[in-house]
Amino acid sequence: MSDDMFNKLAQAVIDGEEEDAVRLAKQALDQNLDPLACITNGLTKGIQQVGELFGSGEYYLPELIISAEVMKSAMEILEPAMASDQEIEVVARVVIGTVEGDLHEIGKTLVSTMLSAHGFKVTDIGVDKSTEEFISAIKENDATIVGASALLTTTMLQQEKLIKSIKEAGLGDKVKVMVGGAPVSKKYAEQIGADGFAEDAISAVDLAFQLADAPV
Amino acid sequence: MIKLEERKASIQPIKSKLKVSILDDQEISQINQNARTVMEEVGVKFPSEKALKIFAEVGANVDFDDQLVKIPADLLDKYLATSPRSYTMAGVRPDLDVHIGSGEGTYFYCSGEAPKIVDFETGERRLSLKKDIANHARIADYLPIISLLWPSVSASDKGVTSPIHGLEACYTSTEKHVETESVMDAISARYAVKMATAVAGSEENLRERPTLSQLLCCIAPLAQDRGGIEAAMIFAEHGIPVGFMSMPTLGLTAPPYPAGALTLAMAETLSGIMLTQIINPGVGNYISVNPGIIDPRTGVYFMCSGVAQITNVGGIQMAHSNGIPSLACHSFGGSQYELGNWQAGYENLYSHFLAVMAGADMSFGPSGMYEAVSLLDHPRILFDREIIQVIDEISDGMEVNSKTLSFDMIKKIGQHGSYISQKETAKESRKMWRRESILYEDGKAEGRKWRDPVDVSREAISWILDNHNPEPLSADVKKELRSLVAAADVDEDLKKEVLGR
Repeated sequence: MSDDMFNKLAQAVIDGEEEDAVRLAKQALDQNLDPLACITNGLTKGIQQVGELFGSGEYYLPELIISAEVMKSAMEILEPAMASDQEIEVVARVVIGTVEGDLHEIGKTLVSTMLSAHGFKVTDIGVDKSTEEFISAIKENDATIVGASALLTTTMLQQEKLIKSIKEAGLGDKVKVMVGGAPVSKKYAEQIGADGFAEDAISAVDLAFQLADAPV
Repeated sequence: MIKLEERKASIQPIKSKLKVSILDDQEISQINQNARTVMEEVGVKFPSEKALKIFAEVGANVDFDDQLVKIPADLLDKYLATSPRSYTMAGVRPDLDVHIGSGEGTYFYCSGEAPKIVDFETGERRLSLKKDIANHARIADYLPIISLLWPSVSASDKGVTSPIHGLEACYTSTEKHVETESVMDAISARYAVKMATAVAGSEENLRERPTLSQLLCCIAPLAQDRGGIEAAMIFAEHGIPVGFMSMPTLGLTAPPYPAGALTLAMAETLSGIMLTQIINPGVGNYISVNPGIIDPRTGVYFMCSGVAQITNVGGIQMAHSNGIPSLACHSFGGSQYELGNWQAGYENLYSHFLAVMAGADMSFGPSGMYEAVSLLDHPRILFDREIIQVIDEISDGMEVNSKTLSFDMIKKIGQHGSYISQKETAKESRKMWRRESILYEDGKAEGRKWRDPVDVSREAISWILDNHNPEPLSADVKKELRSLVAAADVDEDLKKEVLGR
């Protein structure tokens, strides 16, 4: 019975059916199924398959994002029901955002979605975020990876400032910084002391696995 | 990348919601009237005793010494009335039939008969061979955008029977309709008819579903080719559709005005059509106007000028005003652009777009040609295909209805939101994003990068040549074609006829 529910939850994520996923999550709790097992064996399996479908070209970005949102909605039901000693296994904890002065969102959101689909716990802090807000989020979420996006030549300078601030805050040994955005290059990333550069959401996933020192 | 898979041939005409017209009704009427006056008072030269006698028998004013035919307008219109606005050019299978004038849209040709090819293996230019015709026919067979084809190059290794060998190479390599424009004498035409009959199964089948058609180029101004018109009469007799192409060069073989050039074009093509209708009322015809200009500084022929485009679209309207289907012939490798030149792209885009919007029944399209249709490069055909695909998309226009106006979605997303997570976006993005393209890769993420379309195109052509081997004919029919071609090769009369011209 639980396997049947796990499969249904996974399928709702794959199909991007939010109403189904929420209904099934509630039903699972009504049936006293383990919420962590529902997440791990249902929702996560589903989003992993979505990631694979996207990677193989079967799914496009809208499907990927819809599935990620479906998963998020179901998680909001299941996560609060987890026992206090239960913890979702994640590849790494990531804080991601667009740097101060920059309102561009889509690229950062795509990376965020792709990382979530591949088992990372992502906290997306949004756009136009100061170094202080990044550092506060790193501490709050115990993150080991930071993704900083910049779409303007004027705002890419904030990425360097963020890296310096992270080191000054004593987080340099703990946190790896990945940077991206249209004006950013691998060379620039090296110059400012970033730990990695990704030119798109797909290569960002590979990079994050490397930075997390985890198998892809 | 385009889809590379084992599959049967299919065809895909393009129907445009967008329309363009160059001439209004009064202008069309003026040109038609002028063309009829030219036919009646100036006349058209038919250098064929047989043709002259046929015209004389029905009451045209024939000067046998000057081989000149003057046709009264009412006599012309009497015979034009039997030329059908719609008919079929048959493929091997009915689903490959080209339904001219049926309203299904514009069908695209792979044409050419170029004398040279870029060798696919070595990249060197060389004279084209029979095997090149077969290879390009297999490529054309694979691509749905191509509905019918000519031998794309000439078989320089086969001498005077090159046109007959070209037909054999096509018939054995594609299931699509085959047309000839190089069978230009009566003896070769009889061999071609026998070959088409073998492919169709019987003479009766051939009349019902013609597996061959002819395009005959008129000689501007106001003349027909002797061998060509004699071949046309034989084809018409057997129910094989005959299209007439006028090639007015404005300011050289035609007046420097599009209206004057169209007058000549109508006189040349309509007089030829009348002849075929006298011989076989109801046989299919079409009109093609292929205008050009010359570079006034050098005298070099230039096919794809703006004025030529206008004349061409006018030609489509003129054909239709006479109840005859049209073949658009703008630039299909028309100008003197060289390999990879950007000019190839823009000329093909606007010329084919105009053809589709003008409602041409057929258009010379994805052929893989360069340098004024004198050089074939196999991979280029996929660049042509790409352009036609874009035209297909644009010519669909846009839908405006309560769904596409998207008010509910706009209200839901409001300010600062994104539409990417909407289910309708997911659905529509599959229509908006054309997966089959040489401009980008789909499939696995690591391969989804920009690649030089020249490399992608070469890879696709290589796959098609390795994997697409249609078998359109039975062994018996192939044997029959072989024996007909072998007979043509040793036919001394044919040799004399061709070389004597």
